[in-house]
Amino acid sequence: MSDYISRADLLSWLEKVSQSRDLVAPVKIEDLTLFQKVERVEDIVFDPGNTDLSPKEFFFPKSEVLFYVDRSDGRVELVPAEVEQETVIFGIRPCDAKGIAVLDLPYLEEPADALYRQHREKTTLVGLSCVSACPECFCTSMGTTPDDASNVDIMLTEVEEGFIVQVVTEKGKALLPEGLLSSKEVSPPAAPSVASVPSEGIAEKMHQVFDSPYWDRLADRCLHCNVCSYVCPTCYCFDVRDLRSGGRVERVRSWESCQSPGFTKIAGGYDPRAAKGPRLRQRFAHKLLYFVEKFGVTHCVGCGRCVRSCPVNIDIREVIQDVQGLGVKSEA
Amino acid sequence: MNATEQIVAKARELLESGTVECVIGYERATDGVNARPLFVYQAEEAGKLIFDQTCAHNLAKYLLNRKGKATAIVAKPCDVRAVNLLINEHQVERDKVLIIGVVCPGMVETKWGRVSEKLRQACELCREHTPVVYDFLVGEPGDEEAAVEYPDVARMEALAIEERRAFWEKQFSRCIRCYACRQACPGCYCSECFAERLDPLWVGIRIAPSESWIWNTMRAFHLAGRCIGCNQCERVCPMNIPLSLLNRKLEKETLELFGYRAGVDAETPAPFATFRKDEKLEVGE
Repeated sequence: MSDYISRADLLSWLEKVSQSRDLVAPVKIEDLTLFQKVERVEDIVFDPGNTDLSPKEFFFPKSEVLFYVDRSDGRVELVPAEVEQETVIFGIRPCDAKGIAVLDLPYLEEPADALYRQHREKTTLVGLSCVSACPECFCTSMGTTPDDASNVDIMLTEVEEGFIVQVVTEKGKALLPEGLLSSKEVSPPAAPSVASVPSEGIAEKMHQVFDSPYWDRLADRCLHCNVCSYVCPTCYCFDVRDLRSGGRVERVRSWESCQSPGFTKIAGGYDPRAAKGPRLRQRFAHKLLYFVEKFGVTHCVGCGRCVRSCPVNIDIREVIQDVQGLGVKSEA
Repeated sequence: MNATEQIVAKARELLESGTVECVIGYERATDGVNARPLFVYQAEEAGKLIFDQTCAHNLAKYLLNRKGKATAIVAKPCDVRAVNLLINEHQVERDKVLIIGVVCPGMVETKWGRVSEKLRQACELCREHTPVVYDFLVGEPGDEEAAVEYPDVARMEALAIEERRAFWEKQFSRCIRCYACRQACPGCYCSECFAERLDPLWVGIRIAPSESWIWNTMRAFHLAGRCIGCNQCERVCPMNIPLSLLNRKLEKETLELFGYRAGVDAETPAPFATFRKDEKLEVGE
């Protein structure tokens, strides 16, 4: 027996949820599918496949005020920004949920990022497991699975006419009213098979090929735009600037990327990563080596967004494959 | 020989003879159906080169990374106009570039893992099939090209100004300021882009509607009279913003005011890089 909810009951529950909290879910915006605040629950997209942008922006917004500087009577006061709104993210896939768990590592490590922690505390995640896999996905090679419920508060799995419900956390339990779920004799479909990538031992290999000419050759075609970083559920770099706004000053942080020209430019104008090769290598070294050394997991969840979005087909699956091969050659 | 075979043979010959150090062309992408840029340094690797209707990237941008080095480039008519633009603007030396021009069948709409038979809108509107200049031509040159038309711009011009504003506000609100449009554009090569300048500060770092409005309009204005219409900005935009509509509006204005189209040759001075004392435009008079 499984806990079960019909599609109609699910939608009317989500409708109720949206009255007291921000309900965020995948919706169609022109030709794109994006996580957005839902106006009508009928607009929620249940189709398989990942949204064009990850839901990381609900924890790490594209731009966010960190604090305000107020000045009056010759005194300066710093007023921290606060997250007031309770949010429910519905329809988050296991790879994206894992992505948030990965973001937790740098952002919740003490001293934790105050705003990130508030977003995290005020958000409940309702996951949707994948019953089919996209050709660009490789989650099973990156420490998660299409039906991994370990990083959400409630997990749903689509079965005919409705969904099997797994209540994972107390937070999830608190969101569900008594009597909403029924018991049904239904078992979940087998998890889809996902293409695999030879990620075993990749950190060690990355170490060995650090000085390989491979990176310069790969960077030949890289445009050094920020698409890969911005569609990525785990990239977490930002830039900070003070801006005058009305009578006060706001300290704002905005997404940035290690692929940006000038990202590592320092006072005096020197840029240690100005060349294309080292700049592109940084993205993969961070994901597959530095983050692994610091936090013990890869900084990639295999969602496939960068694979799909890169204008010149820099494909992390191919890079991993190539690096594994390079390691072998360099020992020979 | 088909286009791919001709390109492979030419690339091999150029590398074997040492005429160039590198041939920039296309190879098959990892999705098995699309193309991606390829840099060939060894004659043995020339066999990877392909050409078909998925080769939509404008490779001229890469010449900026190979200044002063003998390079051959596979170039469609719009790409060739980008090479002309870069020569005209003294970014690239003509004698360092060997143009393998390709008679263009038009590029098709593609997505990751999928190729349609429908021509890209930019290619649908384009009237040029034979490159204006080349050192070696792949394919048979066609008949004389038809006049340039701007039906898409005319549709936008027919809207009331409030409707146009609402349209662009909606489009720009999706912008994530990833700068893929800038990075892919052969005409965007400032060593420091205004968007990243701190002093003077032209636009703040926020990824928000007001800043995105400034970014997108200034990007377009910086390409006025310079855009060669390759549509890379729109092709690479992850948020599907119809950027070429802005560029084409400015292209149309430049054509009407100055009778000038960028990249048609490498010598005619560009209108916005020229001052003529006797010039009367009947604008603002």
